[in-house]
Amino acid sequence: MFEDDIKKLKVCDFDELPGPKSKEELDEMKAPFEDYCRKAFDVGNEFVKPDALKGIRWLSTTMYIFTPHSVANIAELGAECIKIEMPRMGDAMRHTSPFNEAYLYPLHDTRPMSGTGLGFTNANVNKYFVTLDYHVPEAKKLYYNLVRQSDGLTECYRHGTFDRWKQGYRDLMEINPRFIYVWGGGFGYGPKIFGGSYDILGQAHAGLSSVTGAHEDFGGHSTKATNWVIDWYSGTQITVCMLAALHYRRKTGLGTMIEFSQVQAATRCLGYTVPLYGKFGIVRQRWGNWDTQLCVHGIIMTGKTDFPDAENPQDKFETRYVMVSAFQDADFKELCNIIKKPDLFSSYKTHKERVGAPAQMEIYAAIEKWAANKSRAEVVRILKEHGLLAAPVMNDREVYECDHYRQRGTVRWNDDPLFGDVVCQSAYSAGLMSKTPRRHKWQWRPVGADNVKIYHELLGVPMSKINEMYNKGII
Amino acid sequence: MCDIIWCKKEKGGKVCNTVNYLDPYCFWNWEGTTACAECGTVYYIHMIQGHMYAGPDEKPGHKPDMRPLYADKPLDGYSNYLPGIEGRTRPYNCLPRHIYLGKADMVKFSVRGRPVRGWRPQPPSAGVAGSFGFFWDIEKLSPEVWKEYQEKIAKGEVKDW
Repeated sequence: MFEDDIKKLKVCDFDELPGPKSKEELDEMKAPFEDYCRKAFDVGNEFVKPDALKGIRWLSTTMYIFTPHSVANIAELGAECIKIEMPRMGDAMRHTSPFNEAYLYPLHDTRPMSGTGLGFTNANVNKYFVTLDYHVPEAKKLYYNLVRQSDGLTECYRHGTFDRWKQGYRDLMEINPRFIYVWGGGFGYGPKIFGGSYDILGQAHAGLSSVTGAHEDFGGHSTKATNWVIDWYSGTQITVCMLAALHYRRKTGLGTMIEFSQVQAATRCLGYTVPLYGKFGIVRQRWGNWDTQLCVHGIIMTGKTDFPDAENPQDKFETRYVMVSAFQDADFKELCNIIKKPDLFSSYKTHKERVGAPAQMEIYAAIEKWAANKSRAEVVRILKEHGLLAAPVMNDREVYECDHYRQRGTVRWNDDPLFGDVVCQSAYSAGLMSKTPRRHKWQWRPVGADNVKIYHELLGVPMSKINEMYNKGII
Repeated sequence: MCDIIWCKKEKGGKVCNTVNYLDPYCFWNWEGTTACAECGTVYYIHMIQGHMYAGPDEKPGHKPDMRPLYADKPLDGYSNYLPGIEGRTRPYNCLPRHIYLGKADMVKFSVRGRPVRGWRPQPPSAGVAGSFGFFWDIEKLSPEVWKEYQEKIAKGEVKDW
């Protein structure tokens, strides 16, 4: 290039680049965008906006959390989802957790003393509930008619069961070639084809539990992440497959079969663990509340709880944990000064020096020693005042009372048409959408609540026939 | 878990009300006498596969063969069973709910005081083939709860959060 041309080239002038140039300017620009977001997402008025997936009809022959959740995701986005359950009984999840009267009644008219456990929450939002016993030939006909009028189905029976019953993908694609079929279960085909799955089995079999919890040297054990996270997670992964299959069908007009193994999905959460073994032969260990890649970046225990006089033990004893992050050199130096251990910084000046296990043992012990006579709130306040990232580990009640969540509508009260006043997060915990927001219409409905709506109004089965099938126990 | 002996022996005008946990390791298949950990009343029991096959029958004057591994008084708030005892589950630190006293704790109102359909039995309102109407008219179907709700509103017990 000639010298003159080089001179003509514009030198990058940072002042001309878009974006704030000072803290004041940043604050000035930030406020209007926040206002814009508040207006765009308009929390609380979701129902005046259109549904993203309106027009999609999906069948759900699912149980527990994992597969039902995959369908609840699209039900929240506006698809018409029909859950098919066993007559009089319903999904087994209705009868499981939590125990001790945490139920919403009724379950079904024939069982006035039974209710549906709150464990059913979030996995079955906005669905319609019908009953059907597939073993009866008459029921098969209804099932095939539903398939003819639907876009897809999610099922969770043992691998090949629906195929054996002549209601799997190979049979359904003949009556509806646009049909998207999802099998979600434990292992999928392979040496362990007959293995069923639970969330905890997924976590164990994928190796996730082996890297969760504190190391045995610190009194920890291989631990399962609480509340069925792999059920929720893999259910959502199924939804991603379903939406991709719907897009593919728009282009080609063809359905898809999705075979989704829960234990396989759980391996994805392991991140670098697998390639780490492949490259170095290192089997990853548990590091509990610390981080193998960053230090300081973990959860520490303080000496006092925030609510020593509370009645509830979760408040009284447990509100004493703080998440703290100070891994950059300057932040770490500040942290060492706060805890009055400047020599710690002298010993571990670089991140590489302090990320090793012996260093972390010393550093976290020093922080906890400093926090031993302080409460959770005090520790968070002091660290924040010095410009470090710190947050209290909150419990349920605090999440419920958190203003940030309330303003964003994450946790909110819903006047459920059947069950009354129910607090929920469901649709509102999965991201805000400005044009087609997710919404929570109803928590769930009793077993077979929509039998007439679906069988009579949609399929055109005469009421006398519906009555007859009901008395025979087919629906 | 094996069975328990809930000691109802009256001593000094007070019911003992101690729950003696018969741990499966010792008591799973066992016959003999054991004593209440609190008041020392001797009971004869015969356990088969963790179930109480015979007893507990009081055996005054007998010496107990074996004592229960641990016991507690749930009606007093699990006083012997403190937090942080290694190898044991975290106890309840709250007082027992009514369910332990023989009365189910039926929730009719949410924590903010509005009616929630969480009690039983429910009035039947299903139509053909178990189908339910979409709306639960509380005023019509559960008038007593509706009345209680109106009282709550009047008292200012109904909140937004």
